[in-house]
Amino acid sequence: MRRLSTLLWQIAIGLGALAVWEWGWALEKHVPWLVPDLLDPYFVSKPSAIFQQFLSMSCLVGRDGNWTFGVEGAFAKCMGRSENNLWIATYFTLKNTLWGFATGVSSGFVLGLLLGRSDRLSEIFYPYITAFNSIPRIALAPIIILAFGIGDASKVVTAWLVVVFLVFFNTFEGARSVDRDHINASRLLGASEWQVTRTVIVPSTMAWLFASLSPAISFSLIGVIVGEFIGAEHGIGRMIIEAEARGEAAGMMVAVFVLMIAGVILSALVRRLQAYLLRWRPSQQLAG
Amino acid sequence: MPSTPPEAVAARCRIEIDRLSKEFLANGRDVVAVDNASFRINDGEFVALLGPSGCGKSTILNMVATLIAPSGGSIRVDGEVVAYGNPIRHVGYVFQKDTLFPWRTVEDNIGYSLELAGVAAAERRKRVAEAIHQAGLDGFARFYPAALSGGMRQRVSLMRTLIANPEILLMDEPFGALDTHTKLDMHSVLLGLWERQRQTVLFVTHDLGEALTLADRIILMSARPGRVKADFKVDFPRPRDAVALRETRQYAELFSRVWHSLGEEFAKSRSQ
Repeated sequence: MRRLSTLLWQIAIGLGALAVWEWGWALEKHVPWLVPDLLDPYFVSKPSAIFQQFLSMSCLVGRDGNWTFGVEGAFAKCMGRSENNLWIATYFTLKNTLWGFATGVSSGFVLGLLLGRSDRLSEIFYPYITAFNSIPRIALAPIIILAFGIGDASKVVTAWLVVVFLVFFNTFEGARSVDRDHINASRLLGASEWQVTRTVIVPSTMAWLFASLSPAISFSLIGVIVGEFIGAEHGIGRMIIEAEARGEAAGMMVAVFVLMIAGVILSALVRRLQAYLLRWRPSQQLAG
Repeated sequence: MPSTPPEAVAARCRIEIDRLSKEFLANGRDVVAVDNASFRINDGEFVALLGPSGCGKSTILNMVATLIAPSGGSIRVDGEVVAYGNPIRHVGYVFQKDTLFPWRTVEDNIGYSLELAGVAAAERRKRVAEAIHQAGLDGFARFYPAALSGGMRQRVSLMRTLIANPEILLMDEPFGALDTHTKLDMHSVLLGLWERQRQTVLFVTHDLGEALTLADRIILMSARPGRVKADFKVDFPRPRDAVALRETRQYAELFSRVWHSLGEEFAKSRSQ
């Protein structure tokens, strides 16, 4: 009952917001004090226009305004017209996001583990890490584009840079807080130093790493988009910049919606992965 | 060595503790946790180290387990002096705290030491299945520790240690956190397992009933600084029934004898 009412409220709020967005500006002529300037379709377009724009940008509808499916070769012809159509842009953005995520998570984990388990190393590197961590990573994006060019590499590096610190700090904390008694138990059961690392320190630290995967994937997407804003051949970030240059609010909104959907799907996948990897945690367990 | 019964002289001495002491700093004060403790444990003996909390009994056990470095004196296991941080192969240790690896299932926790030793998977599975059965954990092999009750977790802990067939077993109040019924249940499990192998056991506890139920000998520690105060022989016949034993006259007699001595130490530790 409660769930149904929650769902109804959610639908009502969503439809309400869409209605205000679609027709709100029409009231501006009659009651200008009620309607904020932000509703001007020049800035935010309208849901109906955005949907139309989505159909044509995704080549589901051709230039002639007809559906492309069913017409031989129409979809391919439309796709061929632009180097950065919606599908190609999404593909490049997602690909670079996943690469940034993978490299950032793995290198952040290794660094966090090394420094977290070595007092000497963490002592030496401490000032450098705090200094680097104080730099807003995004500020480095233009430098990265200069250094790595406008291709995929610079996007992956930007995303990596955003992800690696996040994962590093989580892993570092995790590696420092490994339960002393687990290490003792492992030693007393006959583990060598290397076996203690492999069977106790790495798995306990993993729990902390997994907790950082969700923010890491979002950060990675942010890193890639910022990189694409500054300079790119492909990608949704570039698509937004181009639409902005042409003053096409609907085109920008389509790109933003695609990003929203990509973000939702990516974090849902990461949460599934997390729940599976952390299935031994009390909260994931049924009482026995 | 007054603590060694005359008939045991011929028996092989497994653990020999000689003028052992441990001091440490707590809140800027020098605390003597163990003061000049000496005793020996022979092969196959089940010895309970009994005393009020804070008397240093766990400290002694942890020094034998090489988890803590002694400040003075020596510990020999099978004639060899033990060194801090160098665990001895055939010595097993059971913690009071739950130290099961939460990311490993019951079977993977129990099989852990075999995995470390490189025992082949097929052999490992066989021994783990046997251990699970012995501990009455059938059907729980694939469970994670978080899904088990305290008593079941402690049984898994016990089997994780016993599966490596240690000849000497060090136990630090392993049932201290369990409720009375679960505890009695665990006494039966432990007695049953011990009867098969007759390991040499050093069992730390503050529970006199537990010490009488399980042990051949009770070494009574004084309140801090921990010294060996008395050594009682517990000669109830074996195999013992953990529940029925408590209703016998001998049990009641020995209980009151040790209780009197122990009570003085509890009073002292309260006034500290």
